[in-house]
Amino acid sequence: MKESAAYTRSKTFNRRKIMIMFSVIFLLLMFLVGRLVYLMVFCSEYYGQKAQSLHERERDIKAARGRIIDATGTVLATNRSVCTVSVVHSQIEEPEQVIAALVAELGLSEEEVRRRVEKVSSIERIKTNVDKETGDRIRAYGLAGIKVDEDYKRYYPYDTLASKVLGFTGADNQGILGLEVKYDSYMQGTSGKILTLTDASGIEIENAGETRLEPVNGLDLYISMDINIQKYCEQAAETAYTRKNADSVSIIVMNPQNGELMAMVNYPEFNLNEPFTLTDAVKEQYMRQNAADPEAPADAAAPVFPEELSAEKKQELLNQMWRNPCISDTYEPGSTFKIITAAAALEEGVVKLEDQFYCPGYKMVEDRRIRCARTSGHGAETFVTGIMNSCNPVFIELGERIGTENFFKYFKQFGLLSKTAIDLPGEAATIMHRQENVGPVELATISFGQSFQITPIQLVTTVSSLINGGTRVTPHFGVEVRDAQGNVVETFTYETTEGICSEETSETMQYLLEQVVSEGGGKNAKIEGYSIGGKTATSQTLPRSEHRYISSFLGFAPADDPQVLVLVIINNPEGIYYGGTIAAPVCKEIMENILPYLAK
Amino acid sequence: MAAGAARARTQGRQAQKAQTKKEKPVRYFDYSLLFLLIFLMGFGLIMLYSTSSYYGSKHYNDAAHYLKKQLFATGLGIVAMIIISRIPYRFWMSLSGLAYISALGLCTLVIFAGREAKGQSRWLEIGPLSFQPSEFAKLAVIIFLATIVYKTSKQVGDFKTLVKVVTIILPVVGVVAYNNLSTAIIILGIAICMLFVASPKYSHFLVMALVVVVVGVVFIMLAGYRAERIEIWLDPEGLDENGHLKGYQTMQGLYAIGSGGLFGKGLGESMQKLGFIPEAQNDMIFSVICEELGLFGAVCLIMLYLLIIWRFMIIANNAADLYGALIVVGVMAHISIQVVLNIAVVTNSIPNTGISLPFISYGGTSVLFLLSEMGLALSVSRGITLEVT
Repeated sequence: MKESAAYTRSKTFNRRKIMIMFSVIFLLLMFLVGRLVYLMVFCSEYYGQKAQSLHERERDIKAARGRIIDATGTVLATNRSVCTVSVVHSQIEEPEQVIAALVAELGLSEEEVRRRVEKVSSIERIKTNVDKETGDRIRAYGLAGIKVDEDYKRYYPYDTLASKVLGFTGADNQGILGLEVKYDSYMQGTSGKILTLTDASGIEIENAGETRLEPVNGLDLYISMDINIQKYCEQAAETAYTRKNADSVSIIVMNPQNGELMAMVNYPEFNLNEPFTLTDAVKEQYMRQNAADPEAPADAAAPVFPEELSAEKKQELLNQMWRNPCISDTYEPGSTFKIITAAAALEEGVVKLEDQFYCPGYKMVEDRRIRCARTSGHGAETFVTGIMNSCNPVFIELGERIGTENFFKYFKQFGLLSKTAIDLPGEAATIMHRQENVGPVELATISFGQSFQITPIQLVTTVSSLINGGTRVTPHFGVEVRDAQGNVVETFTYETTEGICSEETSETMQYLLEQVVSEGGGKNAKIEGYSIGGKTATSQTLPRSEHRYISSFLGFAPADDPQVLVLVIINNPEGIYYGGTIAAPVCKEIMENILPYLAK
Repeated sequence: MAAGAARARTQGRQAQKAQTKKEKPVRYFDYSLLFLLIFLMGFGLIMLYSTSSYYGSKHYNDAAHYLKKQLFATGLGIVAMIIISRIPYRFWMSLSGLAYISALGLCTLVIFAGREAKGQSRWLEIGPLSFQPSEFAKLAVIIFLATIVYKTSKQVGDFKTLVKVVTIILPVVGVVAYNNLSTAIIILGIAICMLFVASPKYSHFLVMALVVVVVGVVFIMLAGYRAERIEIWLDPEGLDENGHLKGYQTMQGLYAIGSGGLFGKGLGESMQKLGFIPEAQNDMIFSVICEELGLFGAVCLIMLYLLIIWRFMIIANNAADLYGALIVVGVMAHISIQVVLNIAVVTNSIPNTGISLPFISYGGTSVLFLLSEMGLALSVSRGITLEVT
């Protein structure tokens, strides 16, 4: 060991102490190395996973919603690729070119675009629901700062067709109305996921490698609706609506053998592609109601629909517009209900076709004088002519013969008191007297279809079972769901109840109702070469003082083996309101079109 | 082993030279230390760039923002180091009093005129440059204490002298502690190490250690936020009333260290530096090194520090006089304390306190004065004379 010159003597202990100091430092650092080994080898997985979950962000990839396809294979609801165009202020390099491009492609005013482009914000949305083609064109400009995001949007190629049946979806692709709600779980699909890495502020890191979980597209819903029949019916409804200046016209076309609905029209319909825009019809109705307000100044100019409605009022009007009266609204069926009374009486054996009745134009029930539609009276008639004439006293008589208890028994047996279980949301229940409250007067009015309410679909379903040999069917649209490759995934089955009435009663009803059309009150629905059964009805809505009527006609063909059943309801027509005069021709027009079509 | 090799080398060289120039003592220069430092600085700048580029591009639109500032300070520091290494270190003895007084003055000034950052004012602004007086105070205390102890080296074994010397530096410790407790602890640590080496006694230091522990405990009890740091240290994954991590910074560091594994994610691949670790380029840079280079890289870095510290020991052991030896001991203590405390904080081995990693953490003043200290150490190494025995 060499020693340096200066402080030889005292150095020994200094050196020892420096050595101690170094040793302590060495040990401390070794301890820290040990700690690092512990953290980076033994806890590596634990911390690594925690860090990973901190860095990963999930982004959903929307699944394409299943389509709705009718019986002819026509697509009634599908998806369209749409784009959202936005600008990212910090990325814009040539603002003038960006503005020019957006103005040219999006058809917005320059002023508006400029305001948004020049606004200092992280991202500014310029326009949503832009066509894919337009989006692609904008992308082709290759301008920095413009962002075009693609998305799916529900699209209804026929706009208003069967709007209240098909329904629509919300922004999150979830069904809001109609079949879109009922079969939502089938059509939804499962959205996929992209896992990306992001920095602490959530900005994705490019080229970081992403994990993809592909979305599973929704299943296609095949329905029994036939677009051609639906279109015929909508045209017929529109004509009747315009000609009679009615509030609304509803038409149901169903196969009475199995409950498959071929058409369901509620005119006026609304545009499914713009479900939140009030239709003119709804606005008119709103104004008519407001005009009825006696305090409104009489000399006011033509009423103008207010631009600004309260959100509550607007929602109320939208709900009114979206409502499907065929299943959600009840009404007094009137004379069409005589089919049920007749069937109950036949089933109970209290009447035979050749039984004789006499109609003086009214019938006394207790101290009440209940009038017939023909105030002069039908005179002497058989049961067959009574139903052909739709004679109230005959049916009051039948009601009395059946008796309250039995009448209710048959209501229950025919399924009238329960819902039809149609595959559409929002079905209303029958509003019927409580059995213990039914006196002779109530019994009499029930017999010819007044003083209680049922839905149109209930009437269609109940009458179907009485004319198809006694099988109650479940009315439905949904037939099956298939995957994108066209493989059937599930075929829907519906409940049927047999023995609703005897075969014999059913055959008799077919005969009776054919008589109504061929020679009775329903002769306006007669078509040469076809045997058609049917029944007219004219009912007055409550309050009776307003003199508002619902005129309807229920027809089916062929009468001896019904394959199609049509119910036409004209709500509040102007002028002549007799069902036989205005609803039966509508039914005839429809039948004329669809019977040859169905025979093909 | 390496020490032996170095010694053998110097012996060989000395023998060779002794033959040609027998009379003139052979001058020594510690090139090993110089090369180790150059390597460490290069590594530090690369890691600083890797860590700070995200922040730089996010806040200054320039990925190299921090690197450029650090490069400037490093360049300045290298010039200072070269100049100081060429000045005989005994020259500083005459300036030690002035250095101490000016350090005390500047540290007092910063309390009143400093630039505020996060509620504490630590920077003095001189034109476009900002300067952290507490970094200068470390250097001043090393030179000042070395001078005092050297002059009283006969009595330093006396407990009274020891207390007196400690009392002399207490004002600067107190002033620095006012807004930078960690630096005050480092200064105190440096002083104790220097006194420990100078004094032939051991018992004094046991007493001193006891005092430090008692004072420390009382100190923690007095301030609520310090007690909370202890709590976080013991349970870094605990949640506060809002359901947030209490030890957010600590946990982010641990996530980075843990996800590094054996060999790391690769240079530049750290995820945690992307805003998860707050200001990763400062005190938490070691966790990013762990994440990118793994256990292997972290241990290599610790070994590099150990080598440098070992070189200091060699220089101190062979210094021409006690004054030179004490300067190098001070420098050695400074580097060691910061390295140990920084890594201990980052690995949550001790409660959180802001201490930077020498030569790697971002900080211009720090690197400038560290390099000046290296100049001193090299100057001392130059003073070693090699003689033939």
